[in-house]
Amino acid sequence: MSDLARQQSDFQRAILTGDDSILAEIPDSPKETRENLFGVYRYAYSSRLVEAMRNDHKLLHIYLGDEMFDAMGHAYVAANPSQHPNLRWFSNSLPDFLKSAEAYSKHPVLSDLAALEKALNDAFDAEEAPVIGLADMAGFAPEAWAGLTFRPHPSASRLDLSTNASAVWLALKADEDPPDPVGLDEPSRLLVWRKDVTPVFRELGAEEAMMWDEAASGIPFGVLCSMLATYDDPDGAAARGATYLHGWVTAELLTGVAGGD
Amino acid sequence: MNVASQVPVSPSARAGHPITSAKPPFLGFGLGLRAQHYDEILNGVPPIDWFEVISENYMIPGGQPLRILDRIRARYPVVMHGVSLSIASTAPPNFEYLEGLRELARRVEPKWISDHLCWTGVHGKNLHDLLPFPYTREALDHVVNRVQLVQDFLGRAIVLENVSTYVQFNNSEMTEWEFLSELSRRSGCWLLFDVNNVYVSAFNHGYDPRTFLEGIPADRVVQFHMAGHSHMGTHIVDTHDHPVCEDVWELYAAALKRFGWVSTIIERDDHIPPLDEILVEVERTREIANRILPPLTRHAG
Repeated sequence: MSDLARQQSDFQRAILTGDDSILAEIPDSPKETRENLFGVYRYAYSSRLVEAMRNDHKLLHIYLGDEMFDAMGHAYVAANPSQHPNLRWFSNSLPDFLKSAEAYSKHPVLSDLAALEKALNDAFDAEEAPVIGLADMAGFAPEAWAGLTFRPHPSASRLDLSTNASAVWLALKADEDPPDPVGLDEPSRLLVWRKDVTPVFRELGAEEAMMWDEAASGIPFGVLCSMLATYDDPDGAAARGATYLHGWVTAELLTGVAGGD
Repeated sequence: MNVASQVPVSPSARAGHPITSAKPPFLGFGLGLRAQHYDEILNGVPPIDWFEVISENYMIPGGQPLRILDRIRARYPVVMHGVSLSIASTAPPNFEYLEGLRELARRVEPKWISDHLCWTGVHGKNLHDLLPFPYTREALDHVVNRVQLVQDFLGRAIVLENVSTYVQFNNSEMTEWEFLSELSRRSGCWLLFDVNNVYVSAFNHGYDPRTFLEGIPADRVVQFHMAGHSHMGTHIVDTHDHPVCEDVWELYAAALKRFGWVSTIIERDDHIPPLDEILVEVERTREIANRILPPLTRHAG
């Protein structure tokens, strides 16, 4: 290993682990000790990353307050050193961390709230794509509909939450007191996407969530309607499918529709 | 063993001559673009000649930031300024990052692409800080090769900025300004002279900032940064959260006398004030240059 590579390795280890061996190669300044000067880098490292987490998770920050959020943030920084050159992706693993770290896993609303904020952040700067309108759908003959397949907008994602985190999110966003966290018997099925430039979400019923998930994996409309028939009144399945589809098109959730032949 | 031998050797390095690139033009007096000012910029006609954008903020798939950047670049000259190139790192070059940078440059068509003379991490980690290293002949060979590699990849000469540092190394063999001068001469990169960083590092290490100023070749500097800092008594931290202090304004005047008309921006990254307030500082960069320098012959830069 070259001198430069070894010094960089030691310098980084001093920041990440507190190992002071690099200080033997650093002089005091005219007015300050090397320990205090090196401390500028140590402080900047974790404080910069926690600040990035505050920006990405503004409502989780409000929910926890400064002290608890920063303690959680420093624990996350210690457990997940950044491996990406862009700070934008640093807090990607926060929902998983909150789900697994002992201090936070007993409060599943935290992981759910972080997951919802992450999904909204991802929708905000997701890839651009055109959206289809009702006129695009009208171009298909009735007999072609059974074979139609749909492509979701790149910003669209689905999220199943086990708590009332979406109600907590809405209250915090409105600057209101959040409800007490509760676990749900049935998951809260959310669809997250970007409408023009604004990330949005709405809750889906079990039937619509199933249809969305299957449609997003390329299942054609006719089969989707057959699947809907197993959920509720079979005679109304096609009409319900058409209603859901109409809602997705007008909400700018679809970027493509293709005939089956 | 010299670390330069551990990375691919660039074609220009093999050929023994740096990539050549015309000196970037003088753009006037500008501002670092920040999201807090998007609306005021796009809904008005602020007297700003050009914008510097943080590359990584726009190295994303899509959405509003890129749409706004498209609108800004349609109205103003834009320069891309990165924080993650990690040009002095001994880790292998991150070609995924470089590809993202090149892709953004295709979209933005920046007047130039800049980053910092520093490293940000090794062993697959990124500390998201502008870290110092010893100014040795070994480091110089390594960074020259890295710069040439990046310039070959991007197809243009890059611009590198001096960073604020808080520590030095016992094994340094030359000064920072000697390192920068030799790096620019050998690699063909241009220099971004951050006036505040020179002031901060000079205070922290106990030398005269004008010695630094005099040590930089006048014909290699294509941009100035002006920013504020936090004075801790025994040392200064480069926080970009205050207005530019009077000492730095004085050093700016001295830099103008040495380097002439140089594209200049005000940088603010924290406690970001309304646009009107920061425009006062932009105007001051212009006013001082107009007072000190002989009238500009357009396109002389």
